[in-house]
Amino acid sequence: MSVCIRNNVQTAGTGGPAIVFAHGFGCDQHMWRHVAPAFEDRYRTVLFDHVGAGGSDLRAYDPAKYSDLSGYADDVVEIGNELGLKDAVFVGHSVSAMIGLLASLKAPGMFRSLIMVGPSPRYIDDDGYIGGFTEKQIDELLEFLADNHMGWSAAMAPVIMGNADRPELGEELTNSFCRTDPDIAKEFARVTFNSDNRADLGKVTIPTLILQCSEDIIAPLAVGEYMRKQMPNSELVILKATGHCPNLSAPDEVISAMRSFV
Amino acid sequence: MSDSGHIEEDLQDLYENAPCGYLSLSADGRIVKANQTFCRWTGYAPDELIGKRLHDFLNIAGRIFYETHFAPLLRMQGFFNEVALDLVKKNGETFPVLVNAAERTDRAGRPQFIRLTVFNASDRRRYERELLRARDELKALTTMLEKRVAEVVAQQLRSDTALSSQRQDAELREQFIAVLGHDLRNPLASIAAGLRLLERSKLDEQAEAIIVLMQKTVVRMASLIDNVLDFARGRLGGGITLTLSTQPLEPVLWQVVGELQSTHPESKIDMDLALTKPVTADPVRIGQLFSNLLGNALTYGVEGKPVTVTARTEDQFELSICNEGNPIAPAAMDRLFYPFARGEVRPSQQGLGLGLYIASEIAKAHGGTIDVTSTPDLTCFTLRMPLQP
Repeated sequence: MSVCIRNNVQTAGTGGPAIVFAHGFGCDQHMWRHVAPAFEDRYRTVLFDHVGAGGSDLRAYDPAKYSDLSGYADDVVEIGNELGLKDAVFVGHSVSAMIGLLASLKAPGMFRSLIMVGPSPRYIDDDGYIGGFTEKQIDELLEFLADNHMGWSAAMAPVIMGNADRPELGEELTNSFCRTDPDIAKEFARVTFNSDNRADLGKVTIPTLILQCSEDIIAPLAVGEYMRKQMPNSELVILKATGHCPNLSAPDEVISAMRSFV
Repeated sequence: MSDSGHIEEDLQDLYENAPCGYLSLSADGRIVKANQTFCRWTGYAPDELIGKRLHDFLNIAGRIFYETHFAPLLRMQGFFNEVALDLVKKNGETFPVLVNAAERTDRAGRPQFIRLTVFNASDRRRYERELLRARDELKALTTMLEKRVAEVVAQQLRSDTALSSQRQDAELREQFIAVLGHDLRNPLASIAAGLRLLERSKLDEQAEAIIVLMQKTVVRMASLIDNVLDFARGRLGGGITLTLSTQPLEPVLWQVVGELQSTHPESKIDMDLALTKPVTADPVRIGQLFSNLLGNALTYGVEGKPVTVTARTEDQFELSICNEGNPIAPAAMDRLFYPFARGEVRPSQQGLGLGLYIASEIAKAHGGTIDVTSTPDLTCFTLRMPLQP
């Protein structure tokens, strides 16, 4: 199977250097719809869905391969190879920041810089480290996902009608956005919230931009500080935007921070 | 209330005490207004809510999902419907709700504020849990049923295989008996007939001697075939069949002695028959039994020493065949009557090892036994059976 079909790869823009946008835990590549077009004039933009999300091929979901972030990073490398990417920019939201970091280590030369939006190398607090969640809370989340399957499945696949206020969002888009196979979502949540990539931070030598929101319960400010210290070639920018998805809630601020970095 | 019966709706009251909770959030997600119903349900006073974020009142899973799924969904679509969340009340209890949200934007598409309606979903959540439990039970039941069906099918397959192998065994047995009965006996009969013809023609001494030898071999072979045939019937399911009569047994016993004497002319057979009472038996089978026992005695006996045959009818019918010679090894004793069991024999003496087995089967069919005593002086095989079965 072509990796481009498997990961629903969409490219746009000029033939300039490539800029890859990766979505995090939750929705799909549409997360970047207010950000990616701003780079089409000078870059070749590459968007994709992780296997299990959005328009990806659900049949390609292999629980063993995707039992840690490394499997997702392998997909990024495969996409990069397929498109012949070299010296590209990788932009990862949420957990995809770490997926991109792993991919950059697996395929040196593929990416010349990393942009991380709301990243966290470790969500669970640990001896002196603040991740924002206790182990018990993450267990609670996973338990909740396990026994409230139907509630979440109903919640995550709401009946979506035509959207008169936003005619630009076609029905196809609204129907697929944030809709995840409940079993895969459960597994992706487990992989995401149990991941620990703190030891990988120091291995990165390429320039890295860390974009942190002012108030983000998923990735608190302390996490951004920690990452900047661990990554010698990194730069931390605290956005005025709040929440976990500044790419949707404050796209202009994200775009301008990205522009001044690249 | 007006005279005409119209109710003048109090919009303020409608907002505060509507049958659902109302929340208004600023563009950055902070609560700016909450109605009385929401306060009543959650146990918070309005000023405890203002300025907080919605996720401050959600359980941990709800917080994460709100930030990763529903907030983006709201931003993308401008609304979301029927999102299941658990509110945490002031007293720590969980309050299951369904939430609808709509975003208000300015002309440029920038969000101005967000309106949420919150519906009590306690019963619905219970119902969903029951459905879930029912689904899990059904799944478990289905799994169990599938397992049970698979077991039954496997069992059926196994018994089908066993049945068909039994059927095959039965067919094989019949073929085997047919081969013995027909394919072996018939050529042997033509050899015997040929030998009789040759006997009558003029032959030199050497040829005559050869024919005598060959005739003995034919008799021996015929008896081997009889034994094998009986073994096949008896062992494989047909059983030894008897044709009972009370006709005297002496003639058949003498006939056997005659046959075996002719093949063992150098041996002496001492006969002591005292059959004073009638015996109900199959004379042909008794003859076969006697032939097998006497044949053994002649084979294993010491050359020059007589084989003694004693027959009595007192309380029961007793037929005893004794010979001198090496005793039967105690170890061989136990297996003496098993098919294909043989003592230490010289190659020339080799039979099929079926003689004693057939003899004991014939004894059993008559309700009798064959007992063996073996000392360095004498080895005796004794048939004991009731006069009437």
